[in-house]
Amino acid sequence: MKPRAVTGLGVVSAVGVGKESFFLALSEAAPLAKAPQRPIESFDATNYPNAQSTVYEVPGFDPTKYLGDKGLRTLDRLTKLLVVAARLAMHDSGFKRDGVYVQSSPECVGICCSNAYGSLEAITELDRVAQLEDARYINPAKFPNTVSNSASGYASIWEDLRALNVSVSDGNCGALDAVACADIYLETRRADALLVGGAEAMSEALYLAFRRLGVIGKGTRLGEGTRLGEGSALLVLEPLEHARARKASVRAEVIGYGTAFHGPEGEEQLIFASETAMESAIRTAIADAGVEAADICVVASSVSGIKAHDDAEVAAISRVLGDVPIAAPKSVLGETLGAGGAMGMAAALAWFGGALPSPIVAGRAPREVRTVLVTSIGYYGNASAVVMRAPRA
Amino acid sequence: MSLTGSYKLAVTNQPLNLPHAPPQQGPRISTGAGGAKAGGVSRVFITGVGVVSSIGLGKDEFFRSLETGRSGISPVESFDASGLGRQYAGEVKQFRAKDHLTQAELRRTGRCSAMTLAAARMAIGDAHVGPEHLKGGRTAVVLGTTMGEASIIADLDHRWIHRGPQAVKRALLPKYGSTLLPIHVARAIGAQGMVLTLPAACAAGNYAIGFGADLIRAGRADVVICGAAEIVQELQYSGFVRLAAMAQDRCQPFDLNRQGLILGEGAGVLVLESEAHAVRRGARAQAEVGGYGLSCDAYHITRPHPEAAGSIVAMRAAIARSGLTPSEVDFVNAHGTGTRANDTAEATVMNDVFGERRVPISSVKGMIGHCMGAASALEAIACVMTIETGIYPPTLGYETPDPECDVELVANVARAGRSDVVLNNSLAFGGYNAVTCFARPGVLPEPPICDPREEEGVLAQAS
Repeated sequence: MKPRAVTGLGVVSAVGVGKESFFLALSEAAPLAKAPQRPIESFDATNYPNAQSTVYEVPGFDPTKYLGDKGLRTLDRLTKLLVVAARLAMHDSGFKRDGVYVQSSPECVGICCSNAYGSLEAITELDRVAQLEDARYINPAKFPNTVSNSASGYASIWEDLRALNVSVSDGNCGALDAVACADIYLETRRADALLVGGAEAMSEALYLAFRRLGVIGKGTRLGEGTRLGEGSALLVLEPLEHARARKASVRAEVIGYGTAFHGPEGEEQLIFASETAMESAIRTAIADAGVEAADICVVASSVSGIKAHDDAEVAAISRVLGDVPIAAPKSVLGETLGAGGAMGMAAALAWFGGALPSPIVAGRAPREVRTVLVTSIGYYGNASAVVMRAPRA
Repeated sequence: MSLTGSYKLAVTNQPLNLPHAPPQQGPRISTGAGGAKAGGVSRVFITGVGVVSSIGLGKDEFFRSLETGRSGISPVESFDASGLGRQYAGEVKQFRAKDHLTQAELRRTGRCSAMTLAAARMAIGDAHVGPEHLKGGRTAVVLGTTMGEASIIADLDHRWIHRGPQAVKRALLPKYGSTLLPIHVARAIGAQGMVLTLPAACAAGNYAIGFGADLIRAGRADVVICGAAEIVQELQYSGFVRLAAMAQDRCQPFDLNRQGLILGEGAGVLVLESEAHAVRRGARAQAEVGGYGLSCDAYHITRPHPEAAGSIVAMRAAIARSGLTPSEVDFVNAHGTGTRANDTAEATVMNDVFGERRVPISSVKGMIGHCMGAASALEAIACVMTIETGIYPPTLGYETPDPECDVELVANVARAGRSDVVLNNSLAFGGYNAVTCFARPGVLPEPPICDPREEEGVLAQAS
């Protein structure tokens, strides 16, 4: 791919809203973050003792601070997380000031956003009404929230993004795949700039599903199970020349992308961590970026505490890149699924800005970070990777 | 440019001679005129299609039904709709997953994935493409949907609601998620390239086909299995009833007295190939994928923009990105849901884009209902039929003209007509718009797709 400028970031995460708190949290020297001990806000957790230590919510999330208090009543949590991130990204990139376009125009800016499971909150709420009362009492204003691309649609409405709106779903690899989509849409001049990333929201259904699957961590140490997270991260991507022409500040360049799929041999198996796919995705991304393995300073991995997947990912990284330092942003941010890859890319921005990569699960944090590989290993044999580099002086 | 071939413009309201006329033999793809230039962008051809629909399984039955105007709308059987005041849908009642899937696949998939996999197998069979051409990293699978495995989440929810969290079945959990549709297909054929779902609601098929073609043009894949799938499920059915968008017993696109949509389901899958790949294996091109246009209304989550602004942009882009002008479009396969807002918006688009020229337009939703995510994929396959047979499928249920929908409708019976260039229109939930152009092989001047907006100065000139 051609190098794409990253000119803005909007992030809503377990470590706070906005890039400042995000950058700080991703640079703290603590090798592993302390588990949150706040009561769960997004659902009634009385039936799940000890849930709070394994659920990484956006603490005290208050969308009215960013969106005002009008028009939020029927929006679900997923939509609010995404719309706030979109608003922050549009302002951080300089396209908007005080809510108004000051550069480019609505027809030329779009969004390409990943999400893994849609609004489980909305689906289960409406299912409850239909099952326990009557389907005729389903709230028609909330029904749209059950549709997978609803949050993304609202982001377009709230931020006036008309060039295109593309929703992407590839589990926890989706946000990196959104980069591939965005690259093609920029290359074919469908937009001047795109908000690229992902969003996922905490809900009782999501927590229950991961708990029933037995992958929720019991403790706070890595490798002892995953900590379920939520949030949204959107990077503003545009052609380098376009960024230069509008005198935008370039925080990084996205320079390569790769993806692969390799299913399990076992006929009955569905969940599968493919080391082969991960390795292939990494090799493709590095070749696409035109860099050497030795150029990669650190990997923003998707290591999240699920042993089989962590092992496969680390093994694939090591096979291609040797003893490169590997960071695990998910141990601070939680497993944010559809947003995961975008959170990894946002972490890379922190490191390009001078933050010491943290938390590191293999090797030692490099002092200077020039090139980062961001990886995601999927649950079904899918895997994706993206290469980013620091802006050139 | 010149449109190749001498096709008689035979616009007529006469019913066609049935049974089904044999399809014209499309040209074997050669590297002759119109080939990809060295280092240039590849052309993308459709070499196979697969269909699971309420009016037929497989291409032949689907095409025959489209020509004869057979309706697949019938009383709902998959759940009890009696309390909702509506009882019709375009359910695919003849689909038996076990006829198409292995025992292990049956255990791994829900109904939506099963339909997708069945349609993919049919498309691959139709393309006569052997497994040796599909295995490996140069084959990608890109599929659209609105809800994906909606019946799995419903099952999980019902267990949880009625029997508590411990009843949420572990084995069922990994089967949920729209992500799975391409995973199942990739596994079945040994594809190791990109697996991607584009949940673009009722325009998802067009998004998947457009992006699939892009992957080939960008050199990232040689073959893309693409399309979309959707199933009728109780929650969505109830939701559309509550939105007051659902008609009583039939869908009447563009009719003055249209009452709304009828939900449908199905899967439509297409095999896209790069020109070089198709030539290497001696494939027959059924149609060429031209340019496509995208836009977002950014107006309302469910309603189309009242002046159809975004939809007009998308259709103009699809034509321009195909290197064509509106005067070269022969037929438009409408989104035509049968709702007041949609059909009026679409008529506005037709009048804006084509002006005085009355380009024939038709909606197959009178036959198969609104198949949501699968709609524009099934309709893309209907476009392939039009290109292959020169037949425009009919819009059923048309009785009274609506002055607000003044279009050249193919009402009630199929027509024959010129079919070199066909547009597939879609407008979706979330303000998503997508229009794809399909053409008879050899018709399009250049492989897409430059930037048609550059000259018009639409892109912001930041300085």
